[in-house]
Amino acid sequence: MDTEHITEDRAQEVRDEALRTDDVAADDASMAELRSLLLGPAEAQIAETHERLTDPQRQLKEVSRVLPAAIAARTRQDQELSEALAPTVAAAINHTVRRNPQPLVDAIFPVIGPAIRRAIAAALSGMTQSLNQTLTHSVSAQGLKWRVEAWRTGKSFGEVVLLHTLLYRVEQVFLIHRETGLLLQHVVAANVAVQDADMVSSMLTAMQDFMHDSFKTPEGAQLEGVELGDRTLWVEQGPLASLAAIIQGKAPQDLRVHLQDILERIHFQFNEALRDFAGDAAPFVAAQPLLEDCLQVQFDEQKQVAAGGRKPSPLVSITGVFLVALLLLSFFVLRRAWRWDAYVESLQREPGIVVTEARKHYIFGKYVISGLRDPLARDPLALLPEAKVDPAQVVSRWQPYQALSPEFVLARAQSLLAPPPTVKLTFANGVLAATGFAPHQWIEETHRTARFIPGLAQFRDDQLLDLERIERPLLMFELSAAQLVPGQEEQLRQLTADIEHMLTVAHAMRKRVRLEITGHTDRSGPEERNLTLSQERANTIAAELTARLTNSPDLMIVPVGTAEKVREELTEADRAVNRSVTFKVVLLDAQ
Amino acid sequence: MIQKKICMLGTFAVGKTSLVRRFVASIYDGKYHTTVGVKTDKKVVQAGGQEVMLLLWDLQGEESAQDLRRSYLRGTAGYLLVADGTRNDTLYAALALQAKAQETVGMVPFTLLLNKADLTEQWSITERETAALEQKGWRVIQTSAKTGAGVEEAFLTLAQKMVEG
Repeated sequence: MDTEHITEDRAQEVRDEALRTDDVAADDASMAELRSLLLGPAEAQIAETHERLTDPQRQLKEVSRVLPAAIAARTRQDQELSEALAPTVAAAINHTVRRNPQPLVDAIFPVIGPAIRRAIAAALSGMTQSLNQTLTHSVSAQGLKWRVEAWRTGKSFGEVVLLHTLLYRVEQVFLIHRETGLLLQHVVAANVAVQDADMVSSMLTAMQDFMHDSFKTPEGAQLEGVELGDRTLWVEQGPLASLAAIIQGKAPQDLRVHLQDILERIHFQFNEALRDFAGDAAPFVAAQPLLEDCLQVQFDEQKQVAAGGRKPSPLVSITGVFLVALLLLSFFVLRRAWRWDAYVESLQREPGIVVTEARKHYIFGKYVISGLRDPLARDPLALLPEAKVDPAQVVSRWQPYQALSPEFVLARAQSLLAPPPTVKLTFANGVLAATGFAPHQWIEETHRTARFIPGLAQFRDDQLLDLERIERPLLMFELSAAQLVPGQEEQLRQLTADIEHMLTVAHAMRKRVRLEITGHTDRSGPEERNLTLSQERANTIAAELTARLTNSPDLMIVPVGTAEKVREELTEADRAVNRSVTFKVVLLDAQ
Repeated sequence: MIQKKICMLGTFAVGKTSLVRRFVASIYDGKYHTTVGVKTDKKVVQAGGQEVMLLLWDLQGEESAQDLRRSYLRGTAGYLLVADGTRNDTLYAALALQAKAQETVGMVPFTLLLNKADLTEQWSITERETAALEQKGWRVIQTSAKTGAGVEEAFLTLAQKMVEG
């Protein structure tokens, strides 16, 4: 087309030239001919050069060919070009903005948002910090409340906290083409019921248009959100596309900033695709990760922290301490009551103690216990430490009494009769029975005393060996000899039997006894001889007993001569008695 | 899948909503419902050998073209002008709306629907009027939301034109 024009112009020029030349002399024609002959092919080149210099279209083309390289070269060289262009560029921008600011707005939209937000964020962060602290402290007793709820519902505390601190969840995000209201891309969080996204997208756009029209809002005013129940719809508008997020719960302003950021990145990455959009959303599949980035879930960490007690507020601490103190106190009160009950119960089980009253004194908080106590029973006060009850907290009033239960009768008998260690007392059906062996004197006293022991009807000692049976008999010897007077065989046999019995009992009771064999003489003859003789007599009996006894006895020979006479020597019969051996039983480990 | 936005334009009670309902859900309900603002619907059709999702913007009927809410038209790929064949004045309202639409969105495909074609005895639009419009290159289709006649054709024709660009 251009070349056609040029050729036409050229033809016109040629024609004009021709008309002018017609007026000039005809011999000019021959001049021209001569010129053409002289210059030949160079004439065409001259015409070409002339044309290049005079034809503005040609010049335009030529300059445009070298202009970018020239600008680049000059810019590398110095600043002059920039300085020269500056007023022009400024004027051009000024002109553009005056005529139609939209392209410029579109162009700087992706960069201006982040810049402004960064500046604002820096200014606000300090303020937010203190606000956060205030919030943390003001949610106070919440944690405690949730703990109670967790305890009541059987859920874990963590679950309850998450439930309460679910601040928000972005359920769906729509990327909508601004111009047509058509859906470009749509992402949904897991487990969210989805509506027809295309319809939602259209309707959202229609809704905005409707509001614009109905309320005659100024140009540039945007619908930012819609709230319904706990769902919020947030819309972020860009020049070419808008982002709509359906949010459950209360989302923070940060999220809006995030949405803006994502929308800007989409504008940046998909600028051409957005501009040229003609109904095919395929290119926007690539925007899916960006949109998924908006599907956020957030729990209130501050509340969690406050509830978790990591940074408890003073009120939480006080309440907590109070609660712990209350728990401790009730624990101690309960424990004290349990211990008291256990103590009373143990007293009731204790023989010889009858509890008639056990209560807590309401005014003084002390425990009062009263009842009957056999003096032989265990001391109720001594039982207090065992039951871990503080004696200072107990007022005891015990009346003495005599328990008639068998163990008390027996205990009372033990205490009153003080039997030697070789005696064992048993009590049954009103009968006190003694076994073992005892000195004659004790046996006699016991017969007398036993009658006065309450609850005791009879004392039996038929199983008790009276030591008199061993200590009273004496074995008589021939004059001045260590030979037994004949006819004492029966006596010796009986004695041996009694000693045997005693040794058996002692062995059974794990008592050690010693049998002292004392040799005596009459006063005839010298004392030196008498001592020897008394030793020989005792030896004779010791040998005799050792030979006869099954249990090997602990025997002790005590030669006394005439020192311990059995009887005053007045007659011959007295002397015969003094020529003898006597016995004594000694308990070795009486204690 | 390609998506296209279509607007339904026409004055009061010409049957825009009924046409959309007939087309999308094959339902006709004789009762009159006023549309407030706009109502959107969608239907997937085959056009030009591919699936096209039509997002139908059923606009509120306006008494005069001056009242047309232009923002609804923004980004529309085509529109259906609807007139009531039994009310001659609605045709002229449609013509005014077309002028306004063209002013707003430029040259995009559109089709003129003369609705209520089932009411032949009350028909008040003349052959001459129709012919004059067709002469201008307009596509005119007689439709009946009540019987369904021409409805499918009307939407498909427009879809076809939009896909062809």
